[in-house]
Amino acid sequence: MPIEVLLVEDSPGDVRLTREAFKDANKTIHLHVAVDGVEAMAFLRREGAHSHAPRPDLILLDLNLPKMDGREVLTLIKQDDDLKTIPTVILTTSEAEADIVKSYQLQANCYLNKPVQLDAFEALVKSINDFWLTKVKLPQQRQSG
Amino acid sequence: MQAEKQFGYRRDELVGQKIKNIIPEGFAERLTADALRSVEDALSQQIGTGIELRARRKDATEFPIEIMLSPLESAEGMLVTAAIRDISVRKQAEVHLLYKVEELKRSNEELGQFAYIASHDLQEPLRMVASYTQLLSRRYKGKLDADADDFIAYAVDGASRMQRLIQDLLAYSRIGTKGKELQETSSEEVFEQALLNLRGGIQDSGAIITHDPLPAVLADEMQLVQLFQNLVGNAIKYQKTGIPRIHVSAAKNGGNKWLFSVKDNGLGIDSQYFEKIFVMFQRLHKREEFAGTGIGLAICKKIVERHGGNISVSSQPGQGSTFEFSLAGAESNA
Repeated sequence: MPIEVLLVEDSPGDVRLTREAFKDANKTIHLHVAVDGVEAMAFLRREGAHSHAPRPDLILLDLNLPKMDGREVLTLIKQDDDLKTIPTVILTTSEAEADIVKSYQLQANCYLNKPVQLDAFEALVKSINDFWLTKVKLPQQRQSG
Repeated sequence: MQAEKQFGYRRDELVGQKIKNIIPEGFAERLTADALRSVEDALSQQIGTGIELRARRKDATEFPIEIMLSPLESAEGMLVTAAIRDISVRKQAEVHLLYKVEELKRSNEELGQFAYIASHDLQEPLRMVASYTQLLSRRYKGKLDADADDFIAYAVDGASRMQRLIQDLLAYSRIGTKGKELQETSSEEVFEQALLNLRGGIQDSGAIITHDPLPAVLADEMQLVQLFQNLVGNAIKYQKTGIPRIHVSAAKNGGNKWLFSVKDNGLGIDSQYFEKIFVMFQRLHKREEFAGTGIGLAICKKIVERHGGNISVSSQPGQGSTFEFSLAGAESNA
């Protein structure tokens, strides 16, 4: 079964960079992209154009997004009985302590900083793959929303 | 004459007037209370030091004055002469100065915030430039032509240098914006931590680092680690071919101040550069000789100044350098 990852990220440069890094890390990953919080929720709830969207095995969430920001998305995911078991990883450039604390309070599964250097970013994506998509045991049952 | 002008009374109106007529309500009571104490008492307290008061003109307008009392021995006993000076101009200058100080403080904070936000936001687009030029270089090196390889290499180098500059700028501005409160800190433990952080460079260079017992000081621990780390790191880095020898010590420097010194046997510095080396992004060497952006000592200076101290260097080219900085001792040490 392919691995489904939802990347919530508004910068096309970052999306492509993440896509390239995942290609190197694991060819079986399907990377889906939502460019803002509203689209992310539509994808997760299979609304509108996303009615056939798969349930992601992992959500990579940026904090600063247009329309609905990452904190709101995280709040909605963790309030939703069906969605809250999907590991949600914050992937952001913000190093602000307030953002880190807030994210964990909202039940983020972990908080990662986007490294400035390309090598470091690729290494981070590899470790996301090795841990969250390889080693971690998740509930077997894939519920339909 | 002067009093006539100051208070708006004619001379004959003024002579014999009670002092409280020319001083506003409230202040007069204070003076009367003073007068009730023994002359010696009042004199010993107030002679030589001016008392600042509000004065009242004939037309009831007020203005600030300073009264100087001086004793005068006379046949009739102790007399006291009072010299009254109009200090309106000085008072205005004081208010103006306070205002300017406040304004300066605010604009300084704004500038610190600005530097932080600007460098943080610049980092984002730069990350794209740097990442994609690196990707270009990795995937297309040798597949275009020699010119393209050159151009890409310059772009990669420029972007990564700019990233280092911005990271250094951020580190520099964090000292002001993200500093912690000063607390009693063992400078010896902090020094050991700095050496631990530098262990790679220490091993590679074979540096011999010695130190005297170091005192407890009032400091932001993280910043003090950085201070030692930068100074010892520089002492290792700016070396001839020999083995770096570095000695760190601290001596009482009057009151509760400590003067730390970091002495090395490195290249040394010409005296004309003693000030310049502490300025941000100032470097004395070509990049090919010694890497770096020139932020290290600027960070040291900012850290020491944030702690209320000073940093300076004494050196002779070829004879090594000694960096000295002052820090306040911890209260329990006073």
